[in-house]
Amino acid sequence: MEEMMNKILNIFLTFILTAFFATSTFAATKVVWWMESSADTDPTVQEMMCDAFNAEQDEVELECVFKEDINDTIRPALLSGSGPDMFDTPGASYIKIYQDAGLVKSMQEYADQYGWQDKLLGWAYNSGVFDGELYSIPKNYETMIYFYNKTLFEENGWSTPNNLEEVESLAAKIKAKGMNVYAYGSAGWQPTHEHLVGNYFNTYAGPDNVYKALIGEKKWTDPEFVEAIELLRKHMVDEGYWSGDLETYYSLDWDDFNNEFATRGSAMLMIGTWGFNVTATNFGETSDDWDWNPLPILNSQAGSAPNYQLATGGTMSINAASKNADGAAKVIDWILSDKERALKVTGSLGYGAWLLPLKYTDADFDPNIDPRQKRFLTEFAEASDSGNYGYTTWTFYPNDPGVHIWKDMEVVWAGDITPLEFMEESQRLWDQARADDALVPVGKR
Amino acid sequence: MPKFLTSINAISWYFLFPVIFIHFFVVMFPSVLSLLLCLTDWNGFGRINYVGLENFQELFRDRVFKKAVKHNIIWTVMFLTIPVIVALIIAYLLTGIKRGQLFYRLVYFFPYILASIVNCLIWRYIFHPRHGLGGWFENQGIDFLAKSPFAMKETALYAVAWVDMWHFWGFLVIIYLTGMYQVDDSLYEAADIEGATKFQKFRYITLPMIRPIFVLSLIIIIIWSVPTFDYVYILTMGGPAYSSEVVANHLYSQAFQRMNVGYASTIGVMMFFYVGIIVGFFAILRRMGWEV
Repeated sequence: MEEMMNKILNIFLTFILTAFFATSTFAATKVVWWMESSADTDPTVQEMMCDAFNAEQDEVELECVFKEDINDTIRPALLSGSGPDMFDTPGASYIKIYQDAGLVKSMQEYADQYGWQDKLLGWAYNSGVFDGELYSIPKNYETMIYFYNKTLFEENGWSTPNNLEEVESLAAKIKAKGMNVYAYGSAGWQPTHEHLVGNYFNTYAGPDNVYKALIGEKKWTDPEFVEAIELLRKHMVDEGYWSGDLETYYSLDWDDFNNEFATRGSAMLMIGTWGFNVTATNFGETSDDWDWNPLPILNSQAGSAPNYQLATGGTMSINAASKNADGAAKVIDWILSDKERALKVTGSLGYGAWLLPLKYTDADFDPNIDPRQKRFLTEFAEASDSGNYGYTTWTFYPNDPGVHIWKDMEVVWAGDITPLEFMEESQRLWDQARADDALVPVGKR
Repeated sequence: MPKFLTSINAISWYFLFPVIFIHFFVVMFPSVLSLLLCLTDWNGFGRINYVGLENFQELFRDRVFKKAVKHNIIWTVMFLTIPVIVALIIAYLLTGIKRGQLFYRLVYFFPYILASIVNCLIWRYIFHPRHGLGGWFENQGIDFLAKSPFAMKETALYAVAWVDMWHFWGFLVIIYLTGMYQVDDSLYEAADIEGATKFQKFRYITLPMIRPIFVLSLIIIIIWSVPTFDYVYILTMGGPAYSSEVVANHLYSQAFQRMNVGYASTIGVMMFFYVGIIVGFFAILRRMGWEV
């Protein structure tokens, strides 16, 4: 009886130990990734990125968790020393803060091991390099352009504008037809103002001057910046270019102004390239056609060729406290390693999200891609390669000066402070950020 | 076991202990931490540097903070007058309704049980320049509400306060009504015999008799007006041009947008002292024999 019991016990123990070693030896490393949630894109990302990654290999099991307001969610998680293995942030200025606090892992060894620098566009790779090491990779790149109602322009014999004189002349013609010049509004996102400020800095003061101010070789109070803000004030307040008047601009949200543009309430829409998807969708429901152009140059000191402002829309990083950093790096490498797949994913999202800053060539594109979107992808790559690029505030500004741009622009528009006073405050905050070593990398021009 | 450990007093402390424990870690400890943080330049993540009273000096130079304090005062005065007066009148009138009173109570109280985001969206649509009343009037050829009051710096604060008052006054109706039902009927009967008018009964019987509940409502309004945040945040984000910025919004912006957690803590400490002064003031009144 005792022998029988021993046998059963042995079999039981053998089974338990085998099961234990089998699971611990062969179980995939689990990597958890907290991503910024967007109802429009989450299902596609889950299917084409997370599920596809898990289906292709069995070394690493990726769990994607979509979070609202990722920055508010990730902060306490990182501070408590826990959190996911990988996480998104809204931009490089946040990474700088995490890096200072030792909450984000340097990915330099993985970048060297997998050759990420060769895969990514130079400026995009550099945007994640702090103190010589890589801490974040952009998930998406974008720039500011303007869309226009092509049918409307053809019907009225209007030409797309290339300089300030043409912009103001066209605006007068559009207003005479009872339409608004540009559709836009800030009710859905107050920092929308910074899009406009960045546009005027880059097309009036010019990218060279913006670059010099970013690295401290120029003052933000120099005349070209003050004049750019004054011109924006004139166009917004005196001329009512955006949605008719300042108050209506404050009242319209994303759906409102996109709808206004598609239904001929406005002739143009000055927005980031994330607007491709919704513009194509909305115009698909009308008989009108649309197209896009780079922003017109408003002053000769901004150069003669159009410039594309560089912007990253969200970044991905590895938690310094992650025990599965190697697995997380494998996930990132998988994402960066297949341009065809990357284009397929972003194509499914209308090129408005997950447009990874990889070195695409003509051969990488699906032959069925909308030619207008393909033109953007190739022209942007050519322009940024040849140095015709500018700088967005949300990618290259530290936190405090960045918030000042969109919070206090309203004060200029309200007439409570002058453009010069606005830029003086900007300079003060930049000086403070520089003294605090809170600047984000710009990359040599 | 020593007797004092099993006494009734000790047992009551055992039951209180979980609450005190949670209160210490969730309220007291962060509050004390906040008091210390106001002397630092912490950004919420990294090094914490002691900066002495620099944040307080900055606070008195901060034009947005001064504006926000002014807006909080205006906000408090509005809430101490408009909803209080309306609620008192409506509650008094409701006491005279015998049938269907519950319906009115439900209607008045309904906005109070709605989430602030719902209330805000309702009013945002009402005042929307394209789809709201403004658009409707425009179609009738009338130039009225063509611009949303939330988007004009002259009206934004009052428009937001209006929405919050619309949601809040039903709550006051209910507590005043409760107080009014506790007034002894014989006082009204005696006043009727003396030939008192409805207003005289309200002025000389109802108001004095509900004074404790009335004063309590004023204390609640003053204290709740200090951290007011959600309606401003949802409807205007403090704009346009800080015209509806209140202190709690400024604190949020400093802590979570500008990452100046040390400075935000200083704003929080000032709010704490202000509420302390209000509570202290009413405590002194109570000691002086006021029924508050």
